[in-house]
Amino acid sequence: MGMAGKKFNLIDNNTGRDEFINKIILKTRVNVARNIAGRKFTSTSSSRDKNVLLEAVKKEVSSMKKFEDFRFYRIKDLENSQRDLLFRDYMIDTEFTGNMQGRGLFAGNRTHGEGASAVIINSEDHINIQSVYPGLNIYEAYNEVIKIEKIFEKKFDFAFDKDLGYLTASPFNLGTALRIHIIAHLPVVVLSSEISDLLKRMSRVGCQVKGYFIEQSEAAGNLFEIFNESTLGRSEDDILEEVEAICLNVAEEEENARERLKKKDLPGIKDNVYRSFGLLKYAKILSYEESLELLSVIKLGVDLDIIDNVSDFDFFELVDKISNSRIIIDMELGGKINSDYIDSIRADMIRKKITKEAD
Amino acid sequence: MKCDFCNKNKATIYLIKIQDNRIERINICDECAEKFSLHSDKDFYKDLPEIIYKLFGAGSKDITDRVKKVWGNLSYRNNRQCPDCGIDLKTIKKTGLAGCSNCYSELGKALLPLIKNIQGSLESKGKIPLRTSKKIRIEKSIKSLKNKLKNEVIIENFEEAARIRDKIKKLEKSINGHGR
Repeated sequence: MGMAGKKFNLIDNNTGRDEFINKIILKTRVNVARNIAGRKFTSTSSSRDKNVLLEAVKKEVSSMKKFEDFRFYRIKDLENSQRDLLFRDYMIDTEFTGNMQGRGLFAGNRTHGEGASAVIINSEDHINIQSVYPGLNIYEAYNEVIKIEKIFEKKFDFAFDKDLGYLTASPFNLGTALRIHIIAHLPVVVLSSEISDLLKRMSRVGCQVKGYFIEQSEAAGNLFEIFNESTLGRSEDDILEEVEAICLNVAEEEENARERLKKKDLPGIKDNVYRSFGLLKYAKILSYEESLELLSVIKLGVDLDIIDNVSDFDFFELVDKISNSRIIIDMELGGKINSDYIDSIRADMIRKKITKEAD
Repeated sequence: MKCDFCNKNKATIYLIKIQDNRIERINICDECAEKFSLHSDKDFYKDLPEIIYKLFGAGSKDITDRVKKVWGNLSYRNNRQCPDCGIDLKTIKKTGLAGCSNCYSELGKALLPLIKNIQGSLESKGKIPLRTSKKIRIEKSIKSLKNKLKNEVIIENFEEAARIRDKIKKLEKSINGHGR
């Protein structure tokens, strides 16, 4: 049972719990992979096979009420930049293996604050269903994924083995083929260098943590991605329960570290937050790495309620918007890639976003 | 600028890859480009994803160092092929992907020990697809009942244990007895 059986004092004390957890846990992404029995996996199937499968799935989807709001994209028809943006928006792991023949994406509505679902056809596996929710929403995201899975399950026989469970192209997804990814903002745990300890404990309970944006082997912006390492040998419920328990634990740890820091050195944090704000407000050239570090501190300041002249900004969204690739795509810079120029665009974007007097 | 591959000729094709905010540049000369099938403009754009894969390599995001290390131990000395999809162990090692659902039984000898090492188990406890044969369903529930039985015996709840035992017997009979 391990972690799953452990009760957290957080759960008993419901007031404000969600609020503080969602300050630290920014995103939940749940993904399930399925293959159709009797067909080669995408890694070996022909373009023709892939197209046949895509059409078969499309036929099912177009007749379903559940998919009314979903938009369909044939990946090979998309411009590269269009595809990149779409994948980023839905947090789909982009991969460039093989050609784009027969690849498709059904993308649900992305209404603010609610889950966005997507069905990806012929990526690593035949069918990949995922749902992204803001904050810590593992069960909501999983239920959404399973709702969609059930629709396909009625029409298709999935590749399945009584010992290995759902058969997937990657042996690391066998069993439940269920992956839960959580994005957490852990500035104070990092600051107090408890992070390495946390990583060690995490791997002992079957989860992995890595920097979400890796810059020179460090997690830029103190953003971490937590995900379940194994998919086989445990039931879906066990995995959901464990990842949630671990995330609550991590959030609690960060919260405690914040409280301790506040008690120990409130003027110090305030100074740090306001200095960072000053830099972001007046700098004309900002590298991505520096921006992430500064924004992370500002986000901490907002969370701790010690800075008030910052306009309300979505940290995760902004961090995505100001990345090099996003700026290049959004600004249609194409060949004119000059890092100073990108850095100056970035500085402008951030200033506009975080300062209140901006138009 | 010189070609990154032969380090001799002048590069004429420049590729820039931006991933997770890291910028990587590759410079290639005409001669080397040909080797990568970057020859005509038409092919170039058609095959771009393939080319990028060849040049930069690819890898699933979820694969951790530990997994990579274990996977590195996959041996392909006699390089067996899966008779159903034709993929060989060498390719599976390189890409980390099986070719079809039969690879796991056909090449199980080589793959299963590594899977066990990575996943910690070779026994699925997850849900079962709707359209699975009744037999698999029953076998699964027998397995989980047997586990329950063990637990009940440990806590000396013999009454419950006996009930579970009868249930197991009944289920076993239903699949072995008349195989329906």
